[in-house]
Amino acid sequence: MSVAPDAPSIYVHRRTASPAAAAAWSPRHQLATNLRSILGRAYPRLIGLRREPSWLLFEILLPFLTTSAFVFVYRALQAPPEYVGFVVLGGAMTAFWLNVMWMMAAQLYWEKDQGNLDLYFTAPMSLMSILLGMAIGGLVATCLRAGVVLVIGTLLYGVVFSIDQWALLIAVFVLTLVALYGLGMVLASLFLLWGREAWHMTQALQEPVYFVSGLNFPVGRLGALGAVAIGIIPLAVGLDGMRQLAFAGSSANIGTPKPEVEALILVAMAVVFIGLARFMLRKLEWLARNEGRLTLRGN
Amino acid sequence: MTATSASPPNVQVPAGLAGGRARPLRTRAENLRDGWRSFRTAARLGWMTESNWTDPVLFVIYSVAKPIASVLILIFMLEVISGGNARPEFRAFVVVGSSLWSFVMGGVAGLAWSVLDDRERYRMLKYLYVSPNSLLIVLLGRGAARVGIAASGALITLLMGVLFLGVHFDVSTVDWPLLVISMALGLLAIVALGIVLAGVVMQTRQDSWSYPEAVAGGLFLVVGAIFPLSVLPMPAQVLGLINPLTWWLEGVRHALFPGSVSGVGGPGSLWLTVSGTPVPGTAALILALLGSTAVATLAAVAAYRWSEHRAKERGLFDQTTGS
Repeated sequence: MSVAPDAPSIYVHRRTASPAAAAAWSPRHQLATNLRSILGRAYPRLIGLRREPSWLLFEILLPFLTTSAFVFVYRALQAPPEYVGFVVLGGAMTAFWLNVMWMMAAQLYWEKDQGNLDLYFTAPMSLMSILLGMAIGGLVATCLRAGVVLVIGTLLYGVVFSIDQWALLIAVFVLTLVALYGLGMVLASLFLLWGREAWHMTQALQEPVYFVSGLNFPVGRLGALGAVAIGIIPLAVGLDGMRQLAFAGSSANIGTPKPEVEALILVAMAVVFIGLARFMLRKLEWLARNEGRLTLRGN
Repeated sequence: MTATSASPPNVQVPAGLAGGRARPLRTRAENLRDGWRSFRTAARLGWMTESNWTDPVLFVIYSVAKPIASVLILIFMLEVISGGNARPEFRAFVVVGSSLWSFVMGGVAGLAWSVLDDRERYRMLKYLYVSPNSLLIVLLGRGAARVGIAASGALITLLMGVLFLGVHFDVSTVDWPLLVISMALGLLAIVALGIVLAGVVMQTRQDSWSYPEAVAGGLFLVVGAIFPLSVLPMPAQVLGLINPLTWWLEGVRHALFPGSVSGVGGPGSLWLTVSGTPVPGTAALILALLGSTAVATLAAVAAYRWSEHRAKERGLFDQTTGS
């Protein structure tokens, strides 16, 4: 957003007739404040990457080895080559799921533990800006991790992609991320309400979700369970859509809707999750202001 | 000299201090007794921290959901490729390796997360450090609770494998001495790994929560947990053969399912090339597990001591790093 150099800053103190008039912000003022909030919350995550380089080993190299373990399972079973590609793609998408769960869903609860949540509720900005800032800050490391798994996995294990519809593949990927982060915002509200269960829910929502999402095998093989997963978990439907598009013509991709339909499911998920997140966060703010319980530490 | 003789008679001794005597020159037996008490207290605290957030039914579901889902992922991979006709011995291989991996996750994460919990969330690490007992004993106690939970998850997953996933198990063929020795040494090796990770996260920032899982995931590749080592390139097989976890898994597999698929030997394996035998025998298994565990334990204690010293020097015990 460009602002003329001689334009008065919206952050300069101004006299107002009443507190109500002071609180009446222009849309530009609100937008600028929320953008600053996004940048402000993304900053510690971005700068943290430079200050603690050990994450390169622990969050990129070692998770790649985990993905490799599943590649070797398929090699031991002498599986068709596209299955190795499924594992590599699944390993890359795992990074986004983990980012959503650990650095978004559980984050408001941790902010409460650290005493920051009170500040968020009292600051004149949308809580969604905070969550978006967390997402953007975390996305840098996550994209790097996913990219490393995808590129090195592809080169090292000789994955051959067969892509006919690049535009749809990119659209499905972006929609998957939007739906995933929307779900992350909903979970952030829920985890805050559930208190200490947040930590355990984050733990419990890893392997079981990987299983029902068909992380290392086609989700269609799960039958009715897979169909339910495609209906409610963005990772399941996004991963299946991307597999169908990245390995076009593979006989392994059976029993699931076409990628175009899955893209529409993702659009619906994105709208529902973001709408729900907006409602939940407003509800939380109301609870925090009226009952004052959400910001108490150590429950 | 006791504190009683040196203290003025009118000093009020706080309740809970035994006889009001501070004894800086304690005997070895007293130190051991204090250490044991500290371990038990820490284990009880760890158990309560882990379990009192919910009711027992939900807690059991939570404890077994991860290992069961991990096994199901592998079983589905196996069934998808075999068209539903996977060999039972492969199922047993995968079920044992995957369920035992719960111990590694619990053991490695338990100690490291205790450091992070107490430093970043409860802000108690500095107080624990300056208390009379060794911080390592406290961490071991906290970690023991998580290992206990992992054990229940592993047991239930194994039972599920036998009852529902077609794993043939005959209790009369179990080699109990090998099972006991393998489990005892294996758990020691896991704790050693946990101690190293506790030392690592003492030095790093709050976001190290995922580090133990990443390390366990990395080891997953080279220890023959879910596929035989012979599939790996030779350098990776070397890493596997020097790792105590490989021998632990192999020992437990041999004990529970004698004659099952070997994770160490077999055609194309480094073991076959080096030893000339197709699979390691019981004596070789125990010796390899004993030797590698001894080295790992000594290295872990040395690494932890170095880390603790460095953390003290740099004031890392009370440095919170929220991001």
